[in-house]
Amino acid sequence: MSGKMVSITVDGASALVEAGSSLLEACAAAGAKVPTLCHLKDVSSNASCGLCVVEVEGAKSLVRACVGSVGEGMKVATSSPRVMRARRNAVELLLANHPADCLTCARSGSCELQDAALTLGIRQVRFPRTRAAPKLDVSTDGLVRDNDKCILCGRCVAVCSEIQGVSAISLAGRGIRTRVATFMDRGLAASPCVQCGQCSVVCPTGAITERDDTEELWRELAKPGGTVVVQTAPAIRASLGEALGMEPGSLVTGKMVAALRRIGFDKVFDTQFTADLTIMEEGSELIQRLTKGGKLPMITSCSPGWINFIEYFYPSLLPHLSTCKSPQQMFGALAKTYYAEKAGLDPAAMRLASIMPCTAKKHEAKRPEMRGAWEYWSAKAGASPDTAAYYDVDWALTTRELARMITRAGIDIARLPEEEFDDPLGASTGAATIFGTTGGVMEAALRTVYEIVTGSPLPTLDFEAVRGLVGIKSAEVDLAGTKVRVAVAHTLKNARVLLDEIAAGTSPYHFIEVMTCPGGCVGGGGQPVRVDQAKRLARNAAMYAEDRRLGLRRSHENPSVKALYAEFLGEPLGHLSHELLHTTYARRTD
Amino acid sequence: MPSTTTTQRKAPTLDELIERHKGKPGALLGLLENAQELEKFRYLSEPTLRRIAEGMALPLSQVYSVATFYSFFNLEPQGLHSLVVCRGTACHTRGSLELLETALARLGIEGFREDESNSVTTPDGFASIRTVACFGQCALAPVVQVDGTIHSRMTVGKLVAAIEKLRKVPAPEAPKSK
Ligand code: SF4
Ligand code: SF4
Ligand code: SF4
Ligand code: FES
Repeated sequence: MSGKMVSITVDGASALVEAGSSLLEACAAAGAKVPTLCHLKDVSSNASCGLCVVEVEGAKSLVRACVGSVGEGMKVATSSPRVMRARRNAVELLLANHPADCLTCARSGSCELQDAALTLGIRQVRFPRTRAAPKLDVSTDGLVRDNDKCILCGRCVAVCSEIQGVSAISLAGRGIRTRVATFMDRGLAASPCVQCGQCSVVCPTGAITERDDTEELWRELAKPGGTVVVQTAPAIRASLGEALGMEPGSLVTGKMVAALRRIGFDKVFDTQFTADLTIMEEGSELIQRLTKGGKLPMITSCSPGWINFIEYFYPSLLPHLSTCKSPQQMFGALAKTYYAEKAGLDPAAMRLASIMPCTAKKHEAKRPEMRGAWEYWSAKAGASPDTAAYYDVDWALTTRELARMITRAGIDIARLPEEEFDDPLGASTGAATIFGTTGGVMEAALRTVYEIVTGSPLPTLDFEAVRGLVGIKSAEVDLAGTKVRVAVAHTLKNARVLLDEIAAGTSPYHFIEVMTCPGGCVGGGGQPVRVDQAKRLARNAAMYAEDRRLGLRRSHENPSVKALYAEFLGEPLGHLSHELLHTTYARRTD
Repeated sequence: MPSTTTTQRKAPTLDELIERHKGKPGALLGLLENAQELEKFRYLSEPTLRRIAEGMALPLSQVYSVATFYSFFNLEPQGLHSLVVCRGTACHTRGSLELLETALARLGIEGFREDESNSVTTPDGFASIRTVACFGQCALAPVVQVDGTIHSRMTVGKLVAAIEKLRKVPAPEAPKSK
């Protein structure tokens, strides 16, 4: 932007606004709140809803403020009777074809259509319904699509193609049959969809939501005598508060633990424990590939949307992936082996829930290979396993689902005391915390790998070069004379750039971190909706604050991880590690 | 050049068409049109759409988006004969719904819903009925197109007669119904 200013009049008051800004921004700067529905900054603006119309003196028709731009001397009316009429008509037309489901809708309270109806004071809908009720898309583990609640704003389509480079969905048909559709309308499971859930984050309504697992979990928690334990991903502590109405970036680690106990979990553990473990395994894997010769660059494997992506779009590059399971799945495999044995629990009867920032985690938990504990115990029992196959992780819930559970239980999170995670799967370091933000896995890995290779501690633990929200970051690290080049990408469109380099044989890197979502897990598809760059940064900052708060900041210092190796696993990349903590990948087709 | 003198012009294959359109901006629409003409039953089959997406390096969903946006593309095999009923406002006020219902009933089609789909084919592949939003012939409403010929100021009687006339033309080979 040039910095040049123009003077305009908004609702009779004169204002000085930046030249070239949109009418929307200009009106906001002048103190007039123009309602919007389809427009979403940095994502899409197809000017389809007509909610943002304003009257510009001299223009014959009303102007859509989200796409119109200001000019010197412009006179704008943002709430004239004509404007109000047009806005109400626009919303009423949308509501005519919208189910009156607010009472039972997952988005009630955070729905932008509901807000629009409320803001404009809609009390009745004068138009009849014209479109047929479409079928639900419940084909995936992660997401539910209800096109009946869709207002055709196009945000999901834009995010899927422009941010993620997946293009699983498009607008199909025309007129009254226009809809968000996958190829041949077969549903997400039969499409390239990676279940990242970014579409569910940007959707203004309840048309795309996470598949709800809370009901089943409540039922399980109510069963007498059962053992239900829970693990929480790093990013949840930086976003749960926000989901419950606190400031974005509120860090609620201890209160979250307290809330989970009150909900009824028998043990509250931390996925950060296995994030530290991931660093031990993945760091060792990297050193092995660097020194003994293995596929390079090695790429991280903790983000399940990313795994779905490479399995579909770049199957020939699968050998570049680290074989490490994600922290969620490492945790599941250990909870039902190591921990179950230690605590004297029947692994087949215990239940494990995870709280994740992610919808793809729901899918990951249901991958057939994620039954490591069952395989482990079956192998021990000999030829005839005595139980039916069970998953390591029984349910993966999103931040949004946990927030709903806390609300439903009547828990006022702000007033809860700070409580500690349970031992031993609750111990973690700052290195594990920053898994929740882009660049964090890389930084955590470097903190440990550097020390293992050089034998001396890092001069500084903060790797500024891999922090921040730039799409692709890179750095060079001197590991005892060996220059190791690393890169970090978040969003799959950025990942594509690095993958294309590898495919072309021009990648200069040794180690690459990929996170599916913008900003990493803090911007995950299961995180609080109505997010923007500022909120992602606030959540991000909370992660680094937690890193500094925790006394230990290097994964190899985690005392419980050390004990785990001593008592159970032996050594990183050992036989048992391979059995429980590592996995395989396969080409995926639609 | 001895071989070019009297040989019939051969229709291009789908791959040749793709090669011709590749890399040109906005080429998808024309390619889909050519591909549909190539197909005996005037439709874009799933393998055809997949081949086009792959050849043009476009996402399947975007190819589907274009193929479903324009009413002249069919995603189902079309019948031997085609009836297009205009359902624009002018035609509607002059009885096009009755014409549509007559055509459906005469051809023995049940359960067709205008809000769900814009075309339907008889199970035996004899004829397809399609609706369009407007033919641009509102002054002559209601309008029905039968095998490419536009009939203006259509009446139920004239429509029935037109359909009966179609029956006199034997269907050589019906497409497989789904
Ligand atoms: S999507 Fe919004 S308006 Fe629609 S039922 Fe849900 S809360 Fe209500
Ligand atoms: S979950 Fe991700 S990949 Fe799937 S449709 Fe939504 S944005 Fe696209
Ligand atoms: S599903 Fe949601 S984001 Fe996508 S077009 Fe519909 S309302 Fe918009
Ligand atoms: S917000 Fe401007 S048209 Fe929808």
